[in-house]
Amino acid sequence: MAEIEEEVRLRRSSGDLPPKLERELDELFLAHSPVAGRGGDLTEALRMVDAATFVDPVVPVDSQRAAGAVVKKGMRTVLLWYVGWITHQISQFASAVSRALHIVEGRLKELERKVEVQRVPGAGVVEVPEAHRADAWWVAPAVDAVASVPGRIVHAASGDGWLVRRIMEAGGDAYGVDPRTNLVEEGVLTVSDLRGEELADHLRAVAPAGLGAIVLSGIVDGMAGGERAQLLHLIGLTLAPGGVLVLHSLSRAAWDGEYAPFEADLAPGRPLRPTTWQRLLDESGYDATMVDGPAGADYLVTAVRATVPPPEPTSVR
Amino acid sequence: MSAAGPSRPPVAVHQFIPTLNPRDATGSHTLLLRDILRAAGWRSEIFAEAIHDDLATEAYKHWTYPDHAAAGDVAIYQFSTSSVVARFLAERSEPLIVDFHNFTAPEHFRGWEPHSEERAARAHDDLALLAHRAELGLADSRFNERDLRRAGYRRTTVIPVLVDYRRVGAGAPPDRRVAAELAAAKARGGADLLFVGRIVPSKGQHKLVAALWAYRRLYDPAARLHLVGGSSSFAYLKALRGFIAELGLVDAVRITGDVSDAALAAYFGAADAYLSLSAHEGFGVPLVEAMAAGVPVVARRVGAVGETVGDAALLLDGTDPTYVAAALHRVVADATLRRLLVDAGLRRLPAFGHDAVAPQLVAAVASVAGAAGVAGMAGAAGAAGVAGAAGVAGVAGAPR
Repeated sequence: MAEIEEEVRLRRSSGDLPPKLERELDELFLAHSPVAGRGGDLTEALRMVDAATFVDPVVPVDSQRAAGAVVKKGMRTVLLWYVGWITHQISQFASAVSRALHIVEGRLKELERKVEVQRVPGAGVVEVPEAHRADAWWVAPAVDAVASVPGRIVHAASGDGWLVRRIMEAGGDAYGVDPRTNLVEEGVLTVSDLRGEELADHLRAVAPAGLGAIVLSGIVDGMAGGERAQLLHLIGLTLAPGGVLVLHSLSRAAWDGEYAPFEADLAPGRPLRPTTWQRLLDESGYDATMVDGPAGADYLVTAVRATVPPPEPTSVR
Repeated sequence: MSAAGPSRPPVAVHQFIPTLNPRDATGSHTLLLRDILRAAGWRSEIFAEAIHDDLATEAYKHWTYPDHAAAGDVAIYQFSTSSVVARFLAERSEPLIVDFHNFTAPEHFRGWEPHSEERAARAHDDLALLAHRAELGLADSRFNERDLRRAGYRRTTVIPVLVDYRRVGAGAPPDRRVAAELAAAKARGGADLLFVGRIVPSKGQHKLVAALWAYRRLYDPAARLHLVGGSSSFAYLKALRGFIAELGLVDAVRITGDVSDAALAAYFGAADAYLSLSAHEGFGVPLVEAMAAGVPVVARRVGAVGETVGDAALLLDGTDPTYVAAALHRVVADATLRRLLVDAGLRRLPAFGHDAVAPQLVAAVASVAGAAGVAGMAGAAGAAGVAGAAGVAGVAGAPR
């Protein structure tokens, strides 16, 4: 597989195919799909419902056979009084459904406008140059903690793959996830397996217990409570028993400091104290340890998931 | 007359299935299992909600079962979709074995086929409905067994689906016309890629088309893809055709519809690689057929695919066309890798063969059908070269 990944990396770096090829082809395919295959645009869906509301009882009568058109036309004439009566009722029903859906759409939009002003935005990636680079103090212990675990290792937010590269060099089977697709596109030229998507979306697509380790940096610092709880739940589903969760966060002092990035001000939450992480993780079945950074600006939490496997099916044999 | 008095008819083990179809995996499994049950000494018939015309004499409508029922009967339900047969069995009292082949999750049909989505959702309900009735749940794979356990089945075991892979394996007579067409195309150059399965969203044929596009761009401009199997999603088939046309692949992708066994053998015979990018597989019969035909397999690691193919396939963790194309190129162009995969497949094949699977099924059925069945099947199990009786007796002692 390593040879294939190297081949993919070379192909991408040569510009033979674009890095976002799969997404572009998926979008091209979905353009041919029926209404709900095109995503969640309700207005577009309703437009297609409206277009399909009328059921035409006048069927085409073209035929490749000599008398085919005449026969079809005769059948159409004979049956039209009957089929037309039925299709008229179907069209009426479809129009009523369409009307109801338009009312629902109007009310939903009104609701969305009201909710928008109270919306809690998701936390973006918050990085600082001193902490999010390959020679930062926490990188070596993080790599040591995950490089030898069995199974795949995901790093988020992976940026251009700087930590993924380090883990791979140490022997780990790593890949990266980052919602900042511009960084991912730069990174795929040197690291083949980087995915441009939100971590939560990615974890939802991963098989249960499918990951050997998860490394988080720049992700959890500014999360609000709900988003953090959701992420922990998804990690619980995807991290294998005995797997390792490594979590790097800025400290509260750094977050509130004069040189904190502007994203810190915009984030819905602020960093937890390391002891709070330890408590949260202990309660979730992890054995967590924490290390404060040398300048008190950040900290590292390393947590090993309990090795007791989930209940396995018993067999009659 | 026997000194033991009038002989009792052997216990009957009847099978129930939503639709008995000659060319789907569950239908074939059901027919093969019926023969195995009969050989083991049980009376056995098939009862179905719908019966394909070609099999009209092989089965009865399920609602006629009360006319055939006798004390001591055991029922096996071949579960692969929702059906009134599940409700029918839920209300009866015969000891029940649910032979679970999994079903496509509703979300795979969402936005494509509303009635299929609804039907898949009802299949969940059917599975749970039968959980308290079932004395044993048979699963084709560990993956399927997990679903059974989640649905509340207490006793389960894993036994592979019966696959008559001789129909496509070495020596199977191919359809001459199809084989000639494929040979003529191959003579003009280009690899032949194959996928066998119904054209539905969960099988991801559009991902195969995307991979073919990348493969042709990067490695083999003359490569072809053969999509063998009928469709039960008009919307998906229509979108797939539009996608193929938009990518300029009309001459490179052949959608065959349902084909005969001989035509299937011809497609396997011509294939340079079998490619599967399904989003869901409860077992993956065509993967085994590819192994039997000596075709190297490249497959997405999803559902039960990994446990079905073992080390006999190049398993992929994603569907990125560039990645898939690179994997295909390795398999098609690297003779050593091809040989490794094909040899591993041939080594793996016996585990899915009749001689390996039939005794397991007989033993599992005997664990529910009880001593009469065990006595009846002794000859058949012996003939199959299996010493399963001790194990069966142990199972039969389990709580019922």
